[in-house]
Amino acid sequence: MKKFYITQRHKDVGFALLLILPTVLVLLRIFVYPIYQSAVWSFFHYNLMDGSPVQFIGWQNYKDVLTSVAFWLATQRTVYFTVLTVLFELVLGFFSALLLNQHFRGRTFFRAIIIIPWALLTLVNGLLWDWIYQPGFGLFTVLLHGLHILSPQQNPVWLANSSSIMNFVSVADIWKMTPFMTLILLAGMQAIPEELYEAVAIDGAGFWNKLIHVTIPQLMPSILVAIVLRIMGAFRVYDILTVFTGDPQTSITYLTFNYAFRYFYLGKASAMAWISTIFILILIVIYIRVLKKNLDQA
Amino acid sequence: MKRHSVVAAGIVGLFLVSGCGGAPPTTSGGGNSDSNGQNAEGSSNGLSWSGTSDPSLKGQTITVLWTDTNGIRGKLLKQFTKDTGIKVKEIGVDYNSVYNKVTTAAMARSSDIDVVEMDTIWAGQYYKGNIAVDLTHVIPKDVQDKFTPSSLSAASYDGHLMGIPWFSSSKHLFWNKELFKEAGLDPNRPPKTYDEFLKDSKIIQSKLGGKGIYASGWSWKQAESLTCDYVGFLGAYGGAFFDKNNKPIFDTGGGLQGLKEMVTLMKSGTVDPASLQWDEQDVANAFMAGKIAMMSNWEEGDNLNDPKQSKIAGKWAVGLLPGEGQVTSAACTGSEGLAIMKTSKHKEAALAFLKWIAGDEYQTMEYKQEGQYPSVQALYTKLSSSDKSGLLLKFDEQFKYGVNRPNAPGYVQWSDIISARLHDALLGQGTPEYNLKVAANEVQSQEALSSSQ
Repeated sequence: MKKFYITQRHKDVGFALLLILPTVLVLLRIFVYPIYQSAVWSFFHYNLMDGSPVQFIGWQNYKDVLTSVAFWLATQRTVYFTVLTVLFELVLGFFSALLLNQHFRGRTFFRAIIIIPWALLTLVNGLLWDWIYQPGFGLFTVLLHGLHILSPQQNPVWLANSSSIMNFVSVADIWKMTPFMTLILLAGMQAIPEELYEAVAIDGAGFWNKLIHVTIPQLMPSILVAIVLRIMGAFRVYDILTVFTGDPQTSITYLTFNYAFRYFYLGKASAMAWISTIFILILIVIYIRVLKKNLDQA
Repeated sequence: MKRHSVVAAGIVGLFLVSGCGGAPPTTSGGGNSDSNGQNAEGSSNGLSWSGTSDPSLKGQTITVLWTDTNGIRGKLLKQFTKDTGIKVKEIGVDYNSVYNKVTTAAMARSSDIDVVEMDTIWAGQYYKGNIAVDLTHVIPKDVQDKFTPSSLSAASYDGHLMGIPWFSSSKHLFWNKELFKEAGLDPNRPPKTYDEFLKDSKIIQSKLGGKGIYASGWSWKQAESLTCDYVGFLGAYGGAFFDKNNKPIFDTGGGLQGLKEMVTLMKSGTVDPASLQWDEQDVANAFMAGKIAMMSNWEEGDNLNDPKQSKIAGKWAVGLLPGEGQVTSAACTGSEGLAIMKTSKHKEAALAFLKWIAGDEYQTMEYKQEGQYPSVQALYTKLSSSDKSGLLLKFDEQFKYGVNRPNAPGYVQWSDIISARLHDALLGQGTPEYNLKVAANEVQSQEALSSSQ
């Protein structure tokens, strides 16, 4: 039998474990445990406010959520919002990063001010755009009247309809979050070695060829990170919508929040949260696999 | 692989050691209770109205959670401590945060908060959700009789008094006298029925529409503010939300008539179309800018007369919202109460605080300092002699015609369902009949779902 000696290394590891133990315990209690608890709650009828008894009901909450019209409508609108905003933010962010990567006077100034929209609180951004979209005196209407796109008699109520609200919220989100994309992609671009550009320039590549054969492939890891982060962010859209409308069916998070903290159907809300979490996890796994495959091939 | 299993086993072990099964508690809500949520009788909670002057309460500290964003009440609270020896810790938040904080405290069974604000629509949840102490048998009948009927009913759910009436509030009709004059209408004669309202609106629109002015503006954004206005219309046409068996009936009779009138107004071109994305504050802003001739709103006063904010200072008046037929007037109630948390460890001291809040001294101070209208009926006559604006008696008149929103536990969700359908009808997406029918069915199935499980 092999004899066991407590070496210095064992002592170090033991001490290290002892040091991280408090953090681990706190994280388990305030982060991991609530996730686990919500999974358990999702199998219970647990309405906090109506005095009904708490009872185990198996998969019933999941069945209720998956057959509810409101859930699918909210999902559809959330997916629409996510695809639209992430796509525009990626394209716009890419080109602004490209621009800010060039040498020109005042570059540092522009690099600094571009983060202002991103630094705004989402709610403040919502209030700002809510003001812009006001009928009559709102900037958007005034602009369209000034450009004679709308006749003076026309005075549309932009935020009246929940489906069209998604487009207006998307514009507000694109304005706010494009700088985030820009910053991540700009950091990526700065890491691309100059020699690669010099090499393709010798081969006679122009602007677009450089972009397609050097910048984009080299930037792929940054693009991947930016897209995944933004998908997760966009999918959770909530606070800006509360400024624009009282309709909870405009996003899954809004609907889940209402079920949990306005109606207090805690079991059903937990089920809803788990369904959307699983949904987004699947999306991300697929996405990373596809892009990893592309990268391996490249 | 082996290492992973060890980690997983460790996590499971930690949960077990800490006794965290994760299953919800067997009864819902905050305090200890029987299976129906509340104790059978309010009197069994050991509180006594006459026990609030017990010297043993001196030195206790109670925590009060309510809407107070400018910290104006601090001085008033010092007076309470001086009078009773009970210290008060105030948590002043914005209105939208109150409900979340109350329910979070109830879920955590925390005894940190003793007294909480209770909007009229939360009374049912405070009762069924076992959040607040039932005060029906604690506050003597003769004390209850001193409150305005609207503020008392707003603090009650299903015969249970869940808090002390704190202040009175309802919607009122405000009109711009200048614009009435310009349109050739009598500035001292507002419309008394919705028929007259429509007729006057058309006159105003034809005379002043060219200047970008609308006859009326409403808080018809898809939100609680829309449900509130609908409640006024429903009441004006003699409607009701539910029948005696709790079956929704707002899709027939007065409820249907009310929505039809709202749609008629919207289609007549006299309502500012922006109303569909406005809340009450937006409406008040448009009124102060002189852009709308009439509005329905909560107690406004000082800001309408502040020339820095308002272009119509001194040019407006307020009166009763229209009624129809037998109904003189109807307006949605917004009165609120203060309740005692079931988890509180200082209930008797909290009751002393409630008693003080409902006293003439505090009610008068709050009216004078904050413009909050008293819940005590007798104060209206007493204070009216010093009220130069004359608003006190005018507002009081409307309180007599207050209509409560149904404040059963499911109300918050019903209101979301109803406001969505009202909004569709106002947008012209489906008839009032169709939209209310759908809303009534959804409300009924929701109710059936929560009561059957």
